[in-house]
Amino acid sequence: MSQNRVDEYRRKFVTALGGVAAAATVAPGFFLREAQAAGEVPTRSLDQAVTSEKRWGMLIDITKLTDGGAGMVEACKKEHGWDNNPLSRDDQKAHWARVVNVKDKLTGHSFSLPVMCQHCENPPCVDVCPTGASMKRADGIVQVNKHICIGCRYCMMACPYKARSFVHEPLTDQRSYSPRGMGTVESCNMCIHRIDEGRLPACVEAAPDAVIFGDLNDPNSAVSQALKAMGGKQIRADLNLNTGVRYHGI
Amino acid sequence: MTSKFSQVFLASVLALAALLAGCSKAPTEADLNLATAKQKAEECVEPENVIRTKHMDMLMHQRDATMIEGIRTKQHSLKECINCHVSATKQDGSPLHYGDKEHFCTTCHAAVGQKIDCFQCHADRPDVAQNQNYQHAVGSTEGHHFTQGVTEAAAPTTAEVQMVTQPQQGAAQ
Repeated sequence: MSQNRVDEYRRKFVTALGGVAAAATVAPGFFLREAQAAGEVPTRSLDQAVTSEKRWGMLIDITKLTDGGAGMVEACKKEHGWDNNPLSRDDQKAHWARVVNVKDKLTGHSFSLPVMCQHCENPPCVDVCPTGASMKRADGIVQVNKHICIGCRYCMMACPYKARSFVHEPLTDQRSYSPRGMGTVESCNMCIHRIDEGRLPACVEAAPDAVIFGDLNDPNSAVSQALKAMGGKQIRADLNLNTGVRYHGI
Repeated sequence: MTSKFSQVFLASVLALAALLAGCSKAPTEADLNLATAKQKAEECVEPENVIRTKHMDMLMHQRDATMIEGIRTKQHSLKECINCHVSATKQDGSPLHYGDKEHFCTTCHAAVGQKIDCFQCHADRPDVAQNQNYQHAVGSTEGHHFTQGVTEAAAPTTAEVQMVTQPQQGAAQ
């Protein structure tokens, strides 16, 4: 009796999973190709350290973003749960990713783009960190090791992209894969938990037609090919930071 | 009179019981053949005396390996401790937090006066929304027991044996 009920429960669960899988397969071919590119990740066994063989990066084509990137920001919010700060002032609130509106006053030409951590090759936030908490992982992902972050916020000052924010209030019910807590700095980590599982970052999944994600070190990866064909600008390229996030159409 | 009343009462109780039994509810731990606390202690990732004295060192080592090198093994992962030992809700169905005295970690830490800050950032209970099957059944291959999937350690070399059995002269005693 008990076993039957468990089986029934499992069956329902598997059926629900099937629905999810079916929804995933209707994604356009363009997206699927990228999914396979990111699917190369699991060749790394999870008991092995990451190497600098790969460098993760993405190309965001803002001409194909109909909402200026708001959907990508929402997906990030949902994934990491960073909109849960009711006690903070507006300028204190977390912003792992935000939509920036740009307007040329002379011509009136305007556009919007999503701005998050640009995952620089030479990150200023890592240069200034007094404890080593602000770090670049071997595969190019820039993140905060909150275990040793003392909350001094030098990295927030140093970042030219205003990508980092500070948690001002006690939090509960964080996501199990994305720990966040009071007194530490945080920023986009390119969904490191997803990349380690071989999945695409949440924002890339939310805008499959506009964003190409992949390995910048591999000249044959989709993102490298797209960069070769389309170019792709860095924000503040004058700083020579060699960012991992590139834009087309700005 | 009384017998008629008691019959009606009995019938309604039976009906209610049948109704309760028929309700499809989320399976409890017993339904899913999950482990009792005692079985869990026997199947823990390390022997009980090791885990009691060294769990903090293992977690400390694991956190650095995960953050810096991207190593995400499950045996010493805090998330797996939580998934196995902490239930998602209290008896009354409300969410269970580290501050509550029935939280697995709190039961000891409160007794020994230990203040930890793991759960200022980390989730203090299983993320049921993310993974409904967060817990594996007793004895399943998904377990991370220290005897599972661990290859035999290489035998110590003669030089190593010598180092242990005959300490060098002048070494700190």
